[in-house]
Amino acid sequence: MQETITTPTMSAPSRSSVSTQDRSSATGHASSTDPQPSKPSVAPPPGKSKGPNSGASVRRMRRIIAEDAEWSLAIVPLLRELCIQHIVKNFQNNPILKQLPPEDQQKVLNHLSPDLPLAVTANLIDDEGYWSRCCMQRWPVCYVAKYGGSWKRMFFERHLENLLKYFIPGTTDPAVILDLLPLCRNYVRRIHVDQFLPPVQLLPRPRSGEQSDSGSEGEMEEPAMDHYQLGDLVAGLSHLEELDLVYGVKDCGMNFEWNLFLFTYHDCHSLAATIKACHTLKIFRLTRSKVDDDKARILIRSLLDHPALEELDLSHNLIGDRGGRAAAKLLSHSRLRVLNLANNQVRAPGAQSLAHALAHNTNLISLNLRLNCIEDEGGQALAHALQTNKCLTTLHLGGNELSEPTATLLSQVLAINTTLTSINLSCNHIGLDGGKQLLEGMSDNRTLLEFDLRLSDVSQESEYLIGQALCANREAARQRALNPSHFMSPITAKGPENPVG
Amino acid sequence: MNPPGSLGVLEEKEEEHLSTPILGPSIHSDNPQERIQARRLRIAARLEARRREALGEYLDGKKESEEDQSKSYKQKEESRLKLAKLLLCGAEFVTNIQVATDIREIHRRVEEEEIKRQRLEKLENEVKTSQDKFDEITAKWEEGKQKRIPQDLWDMLNTQQVHCAGLIEDKNKLISELQQELKTKDDQYVKDLKKQSDDTCLLLERMEEQVKNVMKSFRQELHNIEKAFEVERQELLTSNKKKWERALQAHNSKELEYLMNRIRKVEDYEKQLNKQRILDCEEYNMIKIKLEQDVQILEQQLQQMKATYQLNQEKLEYNFQVLKKRDEESTVIKSQQKRKINRLHDILNNLRSKYTKQIKQFQEENQSLTSDYKRLVVQFKELQKAMRHFALIDEEKFREIWLMNEEEAKDLISRAFDVDRIIHTHHLGLPWTAPDFWFLKNVGPISQQQQKSATQILEELLMQTEEEETEAAASEPESYLDLPKQVSAKTTRKILMLLCDESGFLIESKLLSLLLPLEKSECYLLRLDAIFSALGIESEDDLYKLVNFFLKYQAHHSPSSQEPTSLISALEPAEQIDREGEEEESLVEGETEEKETPPSPRLIHPNDVLKILEAFVMGLKKPRDFQAPVKLLKDVRNNSKDSEYWKALTTVIPDSTQNLWDALYMALEKYHLVLTQRAKLLMENNSLEQQNTELQMLLQQYLGSKINSELQVPPTQVFQVPTK
Repeated sequence: MQETITTPTMSAPSRSSVSTQDRSSATGHASSTDPQPSKPSVAPPPGKSKGPNSGASVRRMRRIIAEDAEWSLAIVPLLRELCIQHIVKNFQNNPILKQLPPEDQQKVLNHLSPDLPLAVTANLIDDEGYWSRCCMQRWPVCYVAKYGGSWKRMFFERHLENLLKYFIPGTTDPAVILDLLPLCRNYVRRIHVDQFLPPVQLLPRPRSGEQSDSGSEGEMEEPAMDHYQLGDLVAGLSHLEELDLVYGVKDCGMNFEWNLFLFTYHDCHSLAATIKACHTLKIFRLTRSKVDDDKARILIRSLLDHPALEELDLSHNLIGDRGGRAAAKLLSHSRLRVLNLANNQVRAPGAQSLAHALAHNTNLISLNLRLNCIEDEGGQALAHALQTNKCLTTLHLGGNELSEPTATLLSQVLAINTTLTSINLSCNHIGLDGGKQLLEGMSDNRTLLEFDLRLSDVSQESEYLIGQALCANREAARQRALNPSHFMSPITAKGPENPVG
Repeated sequence: MNPPGSLGVLEEKEEEHLSTPILGPSIHSDNPQERIQARRLRIAARLEARRREALGEYLDGKKESEEDQSKSYKQKEESRLKLAKLLLCGAEFVTNIQVATDIREIHRRVEEEEIKRQRLEKLENEVKTSQDKFDEITAKWEEGKQKRIPQDLWDMLNTQQVHCAGLIEDKNKLISELQQELKTKDDQYVKDLKKQSDDTCLLLERMEEQVKNVMKSFRQELHNIEKAFEVERQELLTSNKKKWERALQAHNSKELEYLMNRIRKVEDYEKQLNKQRILDCEEYNMIKIKLEQDVQILEQQLQQMKATYQLNQEKLEYNFQVLKKRDEESTVIKSQQKRKINRLHDILNNLRSKYTKQIKQFQEENQSLTSDYKRLVVQFKELQKAMRHFALIDEEKFREIWLMNEEEAKDLISRAFDVDRIIHTHHLGLPWTAPDFWFLKNVGPISQQQQKSATQILEELLMQTEEEETEAAASEPESYLDLPKQVSAKTTRKILMLLCDESGFLIESKLLSLLLPLEKSECYLLRLDAIFSALGIESEDDLYKLVNFFLKYQAHHSPSSQEPTSLISALEPAEQIDREGEEEESLVEGETEEKETPPSPRLIHPNDVLKILEAFVMGLKKPRDFQAPVKLLKDVRNNSKDSEYWKALTTVIPDSTQNLWDALYMALEKYHLVLTQRAKLLMENNSLEQQNTELQMLLQQYLGSKINSELQVPPTQVFQVPTK
């Protein structure tokens, strides 16, 4: 810049607005009418490109020189362009966006760097394009449909998820997350965290003998093993609808220790308080976190009479009959639509209590008890309940040690019930006779669309015939869907929403 | 432990297949609009179904639809079924792995439980046995305390040690067993892990394969459907094309027909056009030749004009030179003149000041004079008024005196006539006829009045109306004009006003300027005077004629458009008659006029005034010549008539009668004498008679006496005879 000033540029008074401005700022005369604040640091490329030496001063007068093929003078950019460039450059210090006309806003947004601090951009920029650039820069795979089609929401949710994933209690400053809270509170609807890191032990204890066994020794370290407390964060998020948590560690590799996978009582109590306080919560998932009966009871107690909760997923935990009873109580004290207790340790008593609650429930649409051990007693109880229930559409009883008695009762249910659309009885010991009875029941049913009987000792013939009946039902359902006025089916009318697995 | 991730994936996969088609409008919807829509659809469908049933068409819905629908529909249906089956199978194929793992897990759990139970049992047994052994050992410790002999004690201790070692060994064995189990479990776990990863791989493979398959089959089906559509389209196309071609042919034939017609017409028109063109060409040539000639003439003229222009230019140049010189001269003169003008300006200024002074003086004088004049005019008016008043009184007096004298004279005349009549009838025994003279019938002064001049009348008229205005027309003064017999003074005045306003051109402009400062009535008077002098109206009669003419014209005008010539012709005889017997004629005319409702002069349009005037002047031309001598005669005769009248009154008894009367007088004198003698005689007679009566009285007395009756012949009877 200094060079351009010292060279005799006086012969070109109307060259570039910036260069004249610079000159004026250097010499102190020639009143500048430029509205832009004079900053010597801001110089567009044309100002620099010209003026190789003093001999070119004559050439500068001309815009086109025929002999010199390479001579081309960059056209002075519009003042508007310059202003926009300036705004983009100084956006961090002086964010000007809303005052601009819409087309200029768009230009500014297109040129903003995705690395700008969130404190500046979070509440100022709503443009999806900008946030999509931010997301694409940070993550290679972006599936925006999962986030309601909103890039901004995606960015903040994933950003928050990242922070939570790598938060180490005791070492990471909690302000990192709490600072983000005012920025993301309006955009985050779901917290999906599949890893919570435990606090770091400074002394890696030599665990030679007893570490291999159960977590009985965890009692000693339990106060020290608490994970991040979500309470403050969730209280701050005003639009939170979904909590999807896994208390565990990923990619631990050879550093495996049992206590890495500990869902402590303190964690449990704080989580219970958190979800109780969050009135917007609709979906709560806590999977693969070693939730046993007591913890499940604590959590479920806090969820009783929750105003918004619709889906509860506690699959892949250690919930037993007491937990099952608690869930049954929850069924009658909430508006739960989906309950997932797959891969737990619910046995006959728990299933019986669930069946009791289910008999008069009018909200629950989907019940998943896969990989439990409810056995015939529980299965019969559930079948009895389904004779009166008019709401449930999906029932998963796969892998529950069920056998013929349940099948006979279920066949009766199939003849009566008109709401069930999907039943899964795979991996049970139904037996040949049970299969025949189910086939009989199916012959009277017109609503069931899916009936899974794989690996349950049913004869191929009956399975095939059941499959035929299901096909017919599906066809009928399709016809109903195509022209719903033909048939007044309460099933299709009542269950327009598909059960969300 | 199950690998949850793969399960999650599986579940997600299942979700996709679970999705059922979206429903149409449902009658259970929250939206009332949608519910209405759904009910409508339902009703429509029911009606449709009923109709079909009624027609017997509805045998089998599917069959019919298959027949009804085209190939494409069939293909679509087929593809849909195929694809649904494919999807279902695929889903099953993929989920099979999940199910397999599930059942493996269940089996594992069952086994695990069994093993666990066995292990627990074993452990319990172990605990029991070891407890027994331990109890044994502890019991032996008690025993050992009682032993005093070291040998025994050592033995016992040894056995104890052996026992303990056995116990520990048992425990160690158990531990090693358990550790062994653990190791196998670990191995199992590793195997399971491997299996799981294999499963996941398989799952992924299957999913990918499934995706590929599904895509392929979807593509295939799409292709098939497209083909079916294509075929159908082709068919439709061919059929439509056939139709189109047929229509096109028909169209073409028609087109050809039209074309032929058209060609014929075109030929026709072309012929006509050619004809027309030839005609036009000829015409054009003619016009061209003519125009060329014109051009030549014009060029000649142009040349001429150019020559004249040249000439004029030279002339003008010369003139210009002359004018330049003149201009120079004129500048000199101008300067001189300017000097002169200056001088004259000075003089003018002086004069102006003088003039203004004089103007002031004269104005003052003028003011005083005008005031004097006004005063004098007022005095004069008063004087006039008085004079008129006196004239009135004089006339009244004159009339009274006249009447008195006339009465006296008439008395005398009547006496004379009486005497004459008596003389004639009584004395002469002649029939007497009363002499019939015009003057005898006359009462009052002779009505033959002096002809006034028009201006006088005007003045009077105006004055009168003015007075009327002032006196508010309450007391109608007997006008000294005899206008009222024809038209009222007001109408006359209005007509005159109109005349005055309309015929201002007859007045000289100087007079108008003079009239400006005067009063309104005077102004009118003077203007009318001027107009009359211009029109040649001098006498009262002329004025009346004019007024009458106006009224008549008005009357004529209303029924028909004015015809001035006929009016003039109508006027001429009237005037001739007028000259012969003025009074009667005017009277008659007046009466006739009065009978008709006098038309208001307002109705005379100002524009008509000039026409009327013109007509009047035309009519008046002839009589005007005679006017002057007649008027003079009238003045002389007037006085003579008076004296004549009075003379005639004196000579009412003619001379012959007087002579008669003289002779009669003489005779009557004589007769008187006779009569006087006779009277003497009569007197004597009377005295004698008196004597006679006295005597008779006496006789009567005598007769009345009783002696009379007693007599034979009464004397009364004798005497009665001579009285008779």
